This record gives sequence, structure tokens and C-alpha cells, in this order.
Amino acid sequence: MFGYVRPAMDRLTEEERSDYGALYCGLCHTLGRRYGPVSRWVLNYDFTFLAALLSGGLETEERRCIASPFRPKRAAARDPALDLAADLSVILAGYKLRDEVLDASFLKAQGCRAAGAALGGAFRRASQARPRIAESTRREMDRLLQLEREGCPTLDEPADTFASLLAGIAGEVEEPVRRRILHQLLYHLGRWIYLVDALDDLERDAGEGQYNPIFLRYGLTGGVLTPEARRDVVITLDASIRQMAAAFELWDFGRWSGVIRAAVYEGLYRVGNGVLEGTFHAAPRAMWRRGEKEHI
Amino acid sequence: MNDPYQVLNVPSTASDEEVKKAYRELARKYHPDNYHDNPLADLAQEKMKEINEAYAAIQKMRQRGSAAQSQYGGQSTYGGYGYGGASAQGSPLQRARLAIQRNDLHLAEQLLASISDRTAEWYFLRGAVCMRRGWLDEALRHFRQACAMDPGNPEYRQALERLENSAQAYRPAGFEVFTSDCGGGSLCGGLLCSYCLCNSCMGGSFFCL
Repeated sequence: MFGYVRPAMDRLTEEERSDYGALYCGLCHTLGRRYGPVSRWVLNYDFTFLAALLSGGLETEERRCIASPFRPKRAAARDPALDLAADLSVILAGYKLRDEVLDASFLKAQGCRAAGAALGGAFRRASQARPRIAESTRREMDRLLQLEREGCPTLDEPADTFASLLAGIAGEVEEPVRRRILHQLLYHLGRWIYLVDALDDLERDAGEGQYNPIFLRYGLTGGVLTPEARRDVVITLDASIRQMAAAFELWDFGRWSGVIRAAVYEGLYRVGNGVLEGTFHAAPRAMWRRGEKEHI
Repeated sequence: MNDPYQVLNVPSTASDEEVKKAYRELARKYHPDNYHDNPLADLAQEKMKEINEAYAAIQKMRQRGSAAQSQYGGQSTYGGYGYGGASAQGSPLQRARLAIQRNDLHLAEQLLASISDRTAEWYFLRGAVCMRRGWLDEALRHFRQACAMDPGNPEYRQALERLENSAQAYRPAGFEVFTSDCGGGSLCGGLLCSYCLCNSCMGGSFFCL
């Protein structure tokens, strides 16, 4: 769905990399356990990062899975933070599919309907497990849909919907200071994700005449940013990353500090740059090829 | 108080120079400049106080006399706005300023909305409210407007510079990439290449993207 939040892996120690990988596996297993194998396709990096922000520590177990059927892999054991990240993944995927059905072409809408049907049971269970989050997700996604239909020409208003949705997750945290810090961090994480996604889709949206806040905010005529617009988009993205970093420094995230630091001081900047330069989507394919060579 | 060495994250055997270095790094991190118009400024202020006290305590233990002279954060304020004699009976602009300082953004917005004469200060305060709400693009527009209307005002200019200039903010040593300048696909794109959390990507990109 998104998948933009990536810590700079080369900034991590071997142990931190292994821990983060185990968290990712743990989230996949949590999705499978709570919602069945079909739900695993909603797995992505953003929710792994969310689990790191919410989780206090890490306990692991060795588990086999489809991706590694013979050799057991180190995966995070059951953890309330993973449950929450899994529930949110499913709820958000459900609403996103609903909105895509509304706006998509006929064929694409059929695909979204099919995916929505496959996810339906999981979506209902997740919504029942987290009524407060399901309600705020519905409210914010409705607000976003409304802004899209009105053709809202600002960045902050549509970004505020997704930002508020993520910030609302902090409400699940008991400790008041930690809750405040997470609220601020998650707000800007959501804002950044929304805007990077809009930037990523700019060319396509401009071509298809779809709503895009960046296109409208800077009065662009095509899918390419003017130098002034480019500068201002960078300013606003960087400023949100700085707000995340400033919030991060006010709490001890324990075992996950290294991972979060590698995201808010470098990883997010790199991803933003990759999206800006159009190299972001090329990178994973290059990784794939290199991975193959290593395996051989 | 907590163990001052623990607060500065140095062993009690650290040299004076090491203690000073650790103190400076932390003071840079929690400096008011990094928490201007930030809803968490009070927490940063507490951190700074703790660090200052720890440093002073260590210096005292080591009998170096007055520590206060070399401390940070004494002059700048976290809210970014001096009280300046404004009271609850002041003009709506002054009251808006105070409301922002108290983090009462709702009241500040109401007060600002009631003012029809939009001066440079009005735009500046509107920008400050937006900053705290996280509406950073609106904040940028308002700060720019304030600076355009009153180019000589240092308060407005600093607010704009803090927002526009990433390089000013704290970063740990060795971190220096920004969205704008990490040099196209070569460096950053290249490093993204090593990206795969699930080391069985061969099984299907399905699990990894």
C-alpha cells in the first residue's frame, strides 16, 4: 500500500538489522494468525516501523513460513504492538480499497472489489477488535474523500487526515508523556507518508486527471515540479522529518532506538530523495538482482 | 536527582573533556532552537534542565567552581516568545501571542480570526499556530508573508529560516543527508538497493513490497 518508511539499513548494527527483520517477520505471522493467510498481502514496511515505535522490546522465536518453508527464521513472538500494527494494517487496507472502488475505472474497481471481498472478514474482525481506531479511520478517510472531491488546493488539509489517523494510534498508549511524544511523532510520520505518496503519484495523477494536492497547490500544468515548487515540497517534507526527530529524542525507545534513529535522521530523507528523483521504485528491482547473485 | 553521570551518559571515570563533550552534544540536541513552536517544547526544557543540573553537579563534585557560566539554554526560551509585559487585557494580538505560548491554539486561532487588520505580526502569529499544529506548508506561507511585509524584523526572519533551512537543526554526528541534496540516484538510490527485510525475496516480491 505505502511502504515508504525505511530506516537506513547501512546505519544499523548487525544485531539491529536482524531484530528489525524479525519484527517484520513477526508482523507477517501476526497477520496470518489473526486474520488468515490472505491478510498477509497488506504487510508493509510502514507498519513494521509503527510496531517498532509502539513496542517496548523484542522476544523472538524460530518459525517456518511460506517464504522460508525449510529453514526456520527468527521472528518476533506475540506482542501487543504487533497486534495493534496488524489490526491497523487490515483496517486501513479495507478503507483504502473502498475508496479505490469509488474512484477507479470499471476494471480496476472490479479488482478492488475482489480484493475487498477477500479481505472482508478480516476487516470486520479488525474493526470489532479496535472500534475506536476503526471509527477514526472511517472519519478521516471520509474527510479525505470529501477534500479530494472538492479539489482542495492545499497540502496541509488533506495531509492532516492521514496524519491525524496515525496520531490517533497514540491514544492506545497508557503512559501520558509517551502518548504525547508518540502523538507528535506519528502525526508527522503520517503527514510525511501522505505527501511523499502524493509526490510519487504526481506524474500519473496529472496524466489521468486524478486529484493530487501537490499538483493543485503549486498550480502545475503537468506532472513535473517547477524549481520553486520542488524547493517548497522539500522544505515541507524535511520539516516534518525534523519534527519526528525532535519528538524521538524525548523518549527512550530502548531496543528500537537505533532503527528509529536510522529512519528519522537518514532513511526518510533518502526515500524522499528517491521519490523526487524518480529512482525510488527502480531501487527494489536492482536489489532483487543483487539478491539473486548473492544466493547463487 | 538521578546520577549525573547517567544523565550525561558517561562513565564516572570519564575525563573532564569527555564529560564536557557529552554535555555539549546533549545540550545541542535539546537546545530551544530545535523545539521552537513545538508542542513538546516543555519536555525538551525539562531535559535541558536535567542536563544542566547534572553537568553542574559533576563540575561541583570535581571542584571546578562555578559551572553556570558555560551552560547552554540560559538565554533562549522554548516558547520563543518573551512575555514582554503583555497581559490578559492587552490587544488581541498580544493575547494571541500569550495563548500560543500557553499552547492554547484554539483560543489563539479565535483571537487571530477576530482581527481584520492583517499586519506582519498577524501573519507571523498565524504561522506560529500552524507550526504547532503541524501545518507546515501553511506556516511557511504565513512566515514568508510576515517577512515580506516587515523585512527588517529579526523574529520573523528567524522563524522563516528555521523552517526553510534543514541544516540548522540538530543531527547526530555523521548524519548529513537531506531530501534535496543527497545527489540523485547514485548515493541514496544505491543504498536503498540493499533493502529487503525478508531475506527470502526470491520466494516472491509479494512479501517484500
